[in-house]
Amino acid sequence: MKEPDQINTERLAGGGAVAATAPFGDGTLIEDPAVDAPLVINDTSFADVTDTVCGYAEKPGALWWYAALTVASSAALMAAIFIPYLIITGVGTWGLNNQVDWAWDITNFVFWIGIGHAGTLISAVLCLLKQKWRTAVNRSAEAMTIFAVICAGIFPGIHVGRVWMAWMLAPIPNYNGIWPNFRSPLLWDVFAVSTYATVSLLFWYMGMIPDLASLRDRAQKRLATGQSMHLRLMLPTGKPLDIHFINVDKIRAFVYGLLSIGWRFSSRHWHRYEAAYLILAGIATPLVLSVHSIVSFDFATAVLPGWHTTIFPPYFVAGAIFGGFAMVLLLLIPLRVVLPNFKSLLTLRHLENMAKILLVTGMMVGFAYTMEFFIAWYGGNEYEWSVFINNRANPAKAPYWWSYYIMISCNVISPQLFWFRKMRQNPTAIWIVALAVTIGMWFERFTIIVTSLHRAWLPGEWHMFFPTWVDILTFVGSCGIFLTLFILFTKFLPMFAMAELKAVMPQADPHGEHKGHDPVFAAIGEED
Amino acid sequence: MSTIDQCPSTTGLEPEPQDKPTGKQHWRSVEEFSNSESFRPFLEREFPEGASELLEGSRRTFVKLMGASFALAGAATIPGCRRPDRKIMPYSRDVPEEIIPGRPLYYASAMPLLGGGAEGLLIETHTGRPTHIQGNPLHPMNQSASSIWSVASVLDLYNPDRLKFPVYANPARGPLQATWDDFKAFWGRHAKTIDGKGSSLAFIVDKKSSPSRDAMRDRVLARFPGATWVAWNAIETRNEIEGGKLAFGEPVRSHHDLSKAAVVLSLDSDFTFGGPESIKNARLFARTRRVDRPDETMSRFYAAESCPSSTGSLADHRFRLAPSQISALAVAVAQRILNKQAPAGSGSLKTAIEAVKTPAVEGISAEHIHEIADDLMRSRGRSVVMVGPSQPPEIHALVWAINAALGAIGTLVWTSPMPDELASDAGADLAGLAERIDRGEIKTLICIGTNPVFDAPAGMDFAQKFDSVETTICLGVGATETAAASTWSLNGAHYLEQWGDVEAWDGTLSIIQPMIAPLYEPAMSDLEMLAFVAGEAEPDGYEIVSQVWSGRIGLARDSKAFDKTWRRVLHDGLLSGSGKGPAGGSPRFGPIATAISAFTLASAPTESALEVVYAPGNTLDGRHANNGWLQELPDIASKVTWANPVYVSPATAKALGVLPEGGVDPYTKQQLPQARKAELRIDGLPMEVPVWVQPGMPDNTVRVMLGYGRVVCGLVGSGIGHNTNAVRQAGRATATGATLERTSGTETIASTQDHWSMESRTSIVRTIDKKWWDKHAGTPPSHEPDDIYGEVGGVAILNLAEQLGELAHSPPNVSIYKNPLTQSDENARKGSTYSHGPQWGMSIDLGSCTGCGVCTIACQSENNIPIVGRNEVAKGREMQWIRVDRYFTGDDLNSPDEVLMQPVACVHCENAPCETVCPVTATTHGPEGTNNMAYNRCIGTRYCANNCPYKVRRFNFFDWGQTKHNGGLDPKYVGKSLAEGSAERITFNENFIPPRLRAKVDEISKMQHNPNVTVRPRGVMEKCSYCIQRINRAKQEVKTREIWTSRDQVGPIPDGFFQTACQAACPTESITFGDILDPNSAVAKAKESQRTYMLLGYIDTRPRTTYALRVRNPNEHIRPVESDPLEHGGSHEGGGEKHNGHGDGGSGGHAFVDPEKKYREDGYAMSLRVLGGVKA
Repeated sequence: MKEPDQINTERLAGGGAVAATAPFGDGTLIEDPAVDAPLVINDTSFADVTDTVCGYAEKPGALWWYAALTVASSAALMAAIFIPYLIITGVGTWGLNNQVDWAWDITNFVFWIGIGHAGTLISAVLCLLKQKWRTAVNRSAEAMTIFAVICAGIFPGIHVGRVWMAWMLAPIPNYNGIWPNFRSPLLWDVFAVSTYATVSLLFWYMGMIPDLASLRDRAQKRLATGQSMHLRLMLPTGKPLDIHFINVDKIRAFVYGLLSIGWRFSSRHWHRYEAAYLILAGIATPLVLSVHSIVSFDFATAVLPGWHTTIFPPYFVAGAIFGGFAMVLLLLIPLRVVLPNFKSLLTLRHLENMAKILLVTGMMVGFAYTMEFFIAWYGGNEYEWSVFINNRANPAKAPYWWSYYIMISCNVISPQLFWFRKMRQNPTAIWIVALAVTIGMWFERFTIIVTSLHRAWLPGEWHMFFPTWVDILTFVGSCGIFLTLFILFTKFLPMFAMAELKAVMPQADPHGEHKGHDPVFAAIGEED
Repeated sequence: MSTIDQCPSTTGLEPEPQDKPTGKQHWRSVEEFSNSESFRPFLEREFPEGASELLEGSRRTFVKLMGASFALAGAATIPGCRRPDRKIMPYSRDVPEEIIPGRPLYYASAMPLLGGGAEGLLIETHTGRPTHIQGNPLHPMNQSASSIWSVASVLDLYNPDRLKFPVYANPARGPLQATWDDFKAFWGRHAKTIDGKGSSLAFIVDKKSSPSRDAMRDRVLARFPGATWVAWNAIETRNEIEGGKLAFGEPVRSHHDLSKAAVVLSLDSDFTFGGPESIKNARLFARTRRVDRPDETMSRFYAAESCPSSTGSLADHRFRLAPSQISALAVAVAQRILNKQAPAGSGSLKTAIEAVKTPAVEGISAEHIHEIADDLMRSRGRSVVMVGPSQPPEIHALVWAINAALGAIGTLVWTSPMPDELASDAGADLAGLAERIDRGEIKTLICIGTNPVFDAPAGMDFAQKFDSVETTICLGVGATETAAASTWSLNGAHYLEQWGDVEAWDGTLSIIQPMIAPLYEPAMSDLEMLAFVAGEAEPDGYEIVSQVWSGRIGLARDSKAFDKTWRRVLHDGLLSGSGKGPAGGSPRFGPIATAISAFTLASAPTESALEVVYAPGNTLDGRHANNGWLQELPDIASKVTWANPVYVSPATAKALGVLPEGGVDPYTKQQLPQARKAELRIDGLPMEVPVWVQPGMPDNTVRVMLGYGRVVCGLVGSGIGHNTNAVRQAGRATATGATLERTSGTETIASTQDHWSMESRTSIVRTIDKKWWDKHAGTPPSHEPDDIYGEVGGVAILNLAEQLGELAHSPPNVSIYKNPLTQSDENARKGSTYSHGPQWGMSIDLGSCTGCGVCTIACQSENNIPIVGRNEVAKGREMQWIRVDRYFTGDDLNSPDEVLMQPVACVHCENAPCETVCPVTATTHGPEGTNNMAYNRCIGTRYCANNCPYKVRRFNFFDWGQTKHNGGLDPKYVGKSLAEGSAERITFNENFIPPRLRAKVDEISKMQHNPNVTVRPRGVMEKCSYCIQRINRAKQEVKTREIWTSRDQVGPIPDGFFQTACQAACPTESITFGDILDPNSAVAKAKESQRTYMLLGYIDTRPRTTYALRVRNPNEHIRPVESDPLEHGGSHEGGGEKHNGHGDGGSGGHAFVDPEKKYREDGYAMSLRVLGGVKA
């Protein structure tokens, strides 16, 4: 039996047929460790890649796209309503109290920041580690990172009692000559998150420039050849609505032109691009570790039992990677279904790889959960032990036991499915686990924050936390913002890093196994 | 009628009233004395002549622009200078000629207590506004301490819902706003229609002990000899009065001196809380509970209680007994004592008591009863039995006999005659009046300071009878149901606005002086109203009081001697030496014997025949219902606010199926915990009430709180709770045979404490039995005391109290960081900021704290702390800076061993966890060791509160300080439901309306605010500041008196030069505050005690507020002394010498037994071995 790579190469060489079928799946699930699985399948040529990826941004939006956008933006509207309401009326509209001073706000913050982790990890760390399979997911993961960080940034901003005074967090030597308190982890957060957001945004945008230029050039070409079309909107009835006076390609040429800041595909551009990309990857890699470590300091440096733990920084980073990959899977698996040719670029092998990461990081957080317990017992601190047993694990005593067990079953138990090959090669199963992990990671933060706070040192001041509808709808709003932005991204920006994708295709390897065939295109490779 | 702009000095419209020729003239200057033409403008101008020209002419435009803002500023400040017309003597050593702005003046006054007695008060006024009330140090009854009601009464003064003008209920047109002239004209006509003897006239007045009121009563009755006079008090202690009558043949007041008590038995008597003598009792009794050296004597206190009370929390042995069983206990104790030592002449009683079949008391064994009796006898002469209102008159009389047998009469307890009016049976008198109304004999009914339409007992149907009277006149301060139902509703003067007097329980004559002219002028005080009714056209309180006093003192009013005494009285607030000391007097044993022979002991209550105890709540008889501070002050035992559910024990609630939703732990289920409703049926009178569980209640007993369910009272109090007068017969303190049956529906109950137990964390409130105290307290910790902490903390060998906590298990606290202020990682270094004074610190004595809550109220008053309302309390957002944590201990929640109280406010950690985490440095450390809040720097991240181990930080989740607050009710909706006659609570939370759309706080309410304390806005964190405004004022005083020592060091501030608000108010002197570096200060001495420990000190917070552990003095025959807490079976090999104590206070089971505890202890042992290895 031929290997899939071989089939592709043969086809490119003009010989052979595609008839050979893979043993199962889409043919990327090769078991032979000596053979690399293909990263792009279904006889995709370089032109196919460009057409497919640019096509997502150029073709009129499908009905599902409008439907999804409507739902997501309606949810985002909740944020637009309830955040101003919160600011006008007071933090009391949330269910917080003097015992539980943080709850959903910081839970959501840490949740979104965690999700924002996968993007930079995939882009930077996997880039440095030369993991070629990252090319299928890096662009959308980076986009997701940016949108998650936006959502994360909302919560610390609005959770303070006097939002209009939040500028005092910035190190501006104001007229009082008072600096912010550099001992406070919250201040470190401000720096860590803003640095992370900046670098991630730069990374994402810079990586997109060649692809934006492709979109620009394609629009220009259509304009020049008279192929361009007016705006056509799909109505819910299924009929298109033509708006004749708007020429989409004119807008595209202008906007993508602006965004691609004069990219001309010149060798010099590529050279600098590669260098810059590598530098940014180098800068971003420590950030992957630092952001969530610093976020974890909010808790780890506190004296509160359940927060005061040295294990938090690595545990939070592992959890963030875990949650981030789950979110990538949660978003991309449905796109494989609804977007044409998506499966060629995002193969089962990709999904399986990510499922393995879920399994590994899931075990890491599971280990962290266990160690917390062990240290609480071994440390012999009555208060800390009580937080773990009586606030979390013991259903007879802990009012929030369900949150703890949701966390455990979603984060530790559900990824264990991936010990089974069938499961980690089944997109539906992966999607379900990814959903469970996303829920579980939210509950992990809820568990850490609320169950530690609600019953701490002095039983006299113990108090429960119950969310209000403002709490809930603000969170729904943040999900809406996230999804709206992502849905817009799928329509207007290149969802794959085309250049990089092409570089990992067999055609790009002029010195591949089948020597004698000149490569059709000169592609930019990271290797050789 | 203007309510604000009434200052004569700014309007110049109202001439300053001239002193009556008979009165004593006071003047501030020669000009005033001459009252010359030039003096009047001088008085009315703020600036000297010529100064105001600056604002005219060239600056005209500026004036125009600023006019509006000046007017606004003026509106806010004008009420501030409402000085009363008559000069009173400021309470301070040097009498300032004029008020110095920014510097409060203190005046002595007094507050009459319900049913007789008084509290002497010292009232802090800022530019003529009373803002804070504390006890008058010269007053023999309460000294500088105070009760929750007197401290909170300043809020009643500024109650925005007060009656503001007379209202006439026009038969055709309904209630109309009228004027006092209208009323006077009306009365002029009406008085003529009253027949000569006035037999169609009736009065219902507040029962109180006031000589001037008595004089006015005599004047009124002289004019209308046939008038009916009812001195009404809905919650009077009838049993006590009747018992006194039985024992002594005449009504008596009982007086106590507990300072020498060695053994005290309380028979359902909360003698340190709520009564006319309670503050004195609290002070003296607490002293007997305090030990600081080994083998120091300490009283032993047995309490038999029908509900956990503040006094009962001090008990060494607490028994939960139904009232009927407490009576049986009393009989059993009497049998034992009289058998051993019958006083002369008590033969008949001895016979009678022995004839009573020895009852089996449910809840306490016969051996224990005998032991209690024997213990009382062993300390004969220094032991006393206290008896509470729930006991029938026979038992009260019997206790007099027991006390006689114990030799307590004349030393620990004595009597004085009770004036007739105080002794009168209010319930019977009111019933008599009701009958006369029925017979149509009463045509005119005048209520003064009373609200019988609301609080008349069940079955009397007084409201309807009230309506049937032709002319009803009501004079009162707050809006009441009676005022709303009256033909004429008249606005009265608050006691802070009037001249008056009152006799304290011990007979001390106290003067009531106006601190401020009536806010809603014109108004009449009760004295003036009575004088007016008696025929005086323009009554004047000052005239009335000074006249009565001149008679009382026996000096002519125009004599120099009277003038001198009078000035002294105004200064001191009382006539010194007018109180009476201990007196002898023996009860008459014969009548007691007769009564006991006729007395039958009730059998123990059952589920189908419950016993009921009535008790007033924080609102007393309902008069304080519109006082938000008192509504939000948690009930002592249940910590419930804003409601009066009926309380039953957990077992009874379970048996009757009325457990709250969520069981005994209802707080975990819903944000707004729900009590189940049930039908309470007493003597055939049904009522639907919410039921709440109260551990420590005897089974099958229901506690019913009075004073709630007001309908017409104002935004705060209307519709809060249920009017339980509907199930109470007049004067009754208990009832039997009641049933409680669950009905449908629930009601929200807000509690400030969600948890009953200490969860085995016995190092929080530390206790030790006297035996082990005596054994170990003599061994001093051998080391150099810490500069800052004395014997506490950071030392090689811990003091006794610290050996009972975590510090005994952990290595010494050495921070890995240097504290920037102390330049040290351990103790404050010599020469560092903390090593020179003053360094503020506090010590709270848990051995004497009764948890009465007056610290909370005093703090609220001093520091402008807002109330938040029921729903917000239920959510856990109460703002009080000092809370009292209440814990039950024992292994059965239904029958706890002990009730422990622990006041917690910010402890001002030296290594404060809150300070490091604030991102904007809004909370920082002061050089004097205080943890300060910069409110305008705070952005409200709430991280500090999360990181505070003591959870004492309070966040302004809403704009409570700035916008009008009404307890979480929509005012419009309240109005609607009131119109429909429903007292249904509305669950809509008004806080959810954006503040800008809500009404702002009334100008009147703002007048209560302490001008030296910021009113915090929304989104800002706040907490106890150690009353830093008082600290700073003290420093200023010290500086201006030039007693500071060096340029950069203020002080030393003499110890006791000032007090924090909570410290001053505490009746048991449990709170000590001062400079801990001054070796002679009380607080430094307290901290040197072996009892001192740092709450959660093991996390190295180094709190400046430390606690003194509670020493218990149990009777070994009743509860075996627990094993030595410092001698634990060798589980701590590594620890060595003194380090082997356990935090659980021994194996006596004085904590809810936790199955994991043992396991955890093993963990301790294991981990400590590891630590020990490292150390070695």
